[in-house]
Amino acid sequence: MTTTLTGRDSVVVAPPADRAVGRPSAAGWAARGAVGAALFGLVFLFPLTRSGVDVNIYTEAVIYAIIGLSLNVLLGYAGQISLGHQAFVGVGAFTSAYMVTVHEQNFVAAVGIAVAVGAAQALILGLVSLRVSGLYFALVSLAYGSMAEEWLFNISSLTGGGSGQPAPKPSAFATDHRYYYLCLAFLALVLFLDWRLTSTKTGRALLALRSNPRVAESFGASVKRYTLLAFVVSGAFASLAGALLAHNTTRVVSSQFQFQLALLFVIMTVVGGLRSRVGVVVGSAFFSLASYLFDHLHLARAVGALPFLPNLSPDIAPLVLGPLLLLFTLTRHPGGMAEFLDPFQRWLLGERAKPRRTVTIDLREPRGSNGA
Amino acid sequence: MRKGLVTSIALAAVAVGALLVEGPRGRQSLVIGLVAGSGYGLVALGLVLVYKSSGVFNFAQGEFGTIAVFALWGAHSVGVPYGLAMIAGLVAALASGLATERFVVRPLRDAPRVTLLVATAGVSLLAIGVEIWLGEARLRFVAPALGRFDRVSVFGFRVSDQRLLVIGTLALLAVLVALFFSRTNLGLGILAQSENPTAAELMGISAQRLSMYTWAAAAVLGGLGGILTAPLANGFGPGFVTLSTLIPAFTAAVLGGMTSLPGAFVGGIVVGVAESVTTSYPVFTDHFPGSRSVVIFVLLVAVLTLRPEGLLAPRATSGQGAL
Repeated sequence: MTTTLTGRDSVVVAPPADRAVGRPSAAGWAARGAVGAALFGLVFLFPLTRSGVDVNIYTEAVIYAIIGLSLNVLLGYAGQISLGHQAFVGVGAFTSAYMVTVHEQNFVAAVGIAVAVGAAQALILGLVSLRVSGLYFALVSLAYGSMAEEWLFNISSLTGGGSGQPAPKPSAFATDHRYYYLCLAFLALVLFLDWRLTSTKTGRALLALRSNPRVAESFGASVKRYTLLAFVVSGAFASLAGALLAHNTTRVVSSQFQFQLALLFVIMTVVGGLRSRVGVVVGSAFFSLASYLFDHLHLARAVGALPFLPNLSPDIAPLVLGPLLLLFTLTRHPGGMAEFLDPFQRWLLGERAKPRRTVTIDLREPRGSNGA
Repeated sequence: MRKGLVTSIALAAVAVGALLVEGPRGRQSLVIGLVAGSGYGLVALGLVLVYKSSGVFNFAQGEFGTIAVFALWGAHSVGVPYGLAMIAGLVAALASGLATERFVVRPLRDAPRVTLLVATAGVSLLAIGVEIWLGEARLRFVAPALGRFDRVSVFGFRVSDQRLLVIGTLALLAVLVALFFSRTNLGLGILAQSENPTAAELMGISAQRLSMYTWAAAAVLGGLGGILTAPLANGFGPGFVTLSTLIPAFTAAVLGGMTSLPGAFVGGIVVGVAESVTTSYPVFTDHFPGSRSVVIFVLLVAVLTLRPEGLLAPRATSGQGAL
């Protein structure tokens, strides 16, 4: 159990999955070992066989996973939504590039400053949007993203104007491959922080808030403070991802951070599966790589051959299929890809597929607080 | 209510007076802002309607308008008379509103608000995707409903009939919708349901039917906003209303307190005038090349910080205030 809340009115708490370990046979272990090794090879070794732009694209997929986790903190844990996440990522990218190029800081300092700036902007926007209860962060971040796109990212002394700001890779990770592993390490760090966030008191408070803010508040969890914390963590992760993105392409241009990107972030996070780290990472990487896979697996011809979708070219297909997938996920499979990944993950870890035991503690409205 | 209203009116009077006195540029930006603001107000009315009944920011509101514009353009370009083409546009908007309600809103009835919000953004995105797919990402032009532009002039500036139509429609609709909420059973039912869904259901109010009516009405309002303002723009393309109007319209609605219909009307005008002032003076345009989005962001932040309950709201509430 992950809660110590007691009393008649309480919150719904999903305890950690039952880790009832089965006993796979030797062949079972061999199969798991083979699949595990293949996955390990795909992530850690396969990029070594490629070079140049391909590696940059894989690195970008890793960075998108960080962005997905960043949005998951808001959408999955705090029940808030940012529609200006491209601006948060962009601010991180430009801050880091500016620090390295103009102020000749080293990579670590630049990324650190970018993360701090990202957290600060999220804090300020969060404070403004929490003046009224509701999802105002959606509106504030949307307007912020629009302002960043049209004004902030075009201030040439900060962003280098139309030609962009150079952002060289750190000297120790100057090759594409080394940088890929550096980004993997950062992803691992973010995953660790995310795990700590969810497995501590903070995480339980956020979970309770999402289920029922009124009850959680009556148990002493400050809605405002924890939601703000989620904004800050999300902003910091997004900025980190932005900084990594900047040095991956070695140049940041303002046109990289348009509004459509924010919607792609939302789609990849939701379709991946909110509140599932594996789901979000896989979903984000998948959407990041979608057009690359489309090209390399010759899916374009397959889609073009579908009789009911005339002239759905590979450029346009994601614009139609992405939102459809989002709506389908929301209305039919709210767990996203994670719904399908979860059994696989448990099999891989040698756990018997056993339905998750959820403890639903009866949740009554506190008396006399209706329609407040 | 009184104090806020008086302060707002006084501020507005000072601003308008200053613009009138300042000279032709001030007067021109006032007229332009009034017209642009009416367009924002029209979209904001639909946003407020949905927010009042279900507490959701409807990010699909703009696309109801774009769909109507595409239908109007399509019908008109194959020779359907303009009046009938306008009706075709409104029917298309209505159909998309009903489809949204049936396939997205209804299945998510018991889902958290944030899920529904994401879903409306998904609807908007899907609509834009389909528009690009079927209509290509190019600009089109649509004729105005009223072609004359030399009949009326305000402060020495010609105001076309189409622009007058936009302002008039907004004013009329704001009054009609306000009356609808305070006088009709249906309107009162919607309010009752947003206040306390369980109690409303027990009183025999069908939540499902109300939801359907609300989305239908919001879609028609959005469609009307689209087909009236599209002829005034320099062409329209996929996502036209969403890209040009949604953020100012949300700002307008927040200025009005998110639940107030007259507030949405006033908020729209405020946003429109503020925007046209900042884009017509070199003081702003020289220093803020993207001043349009800056002023809207500043307005949004300012109202949330200084007066989060909105300009016309009676008191600080969490968005459940009456008219």
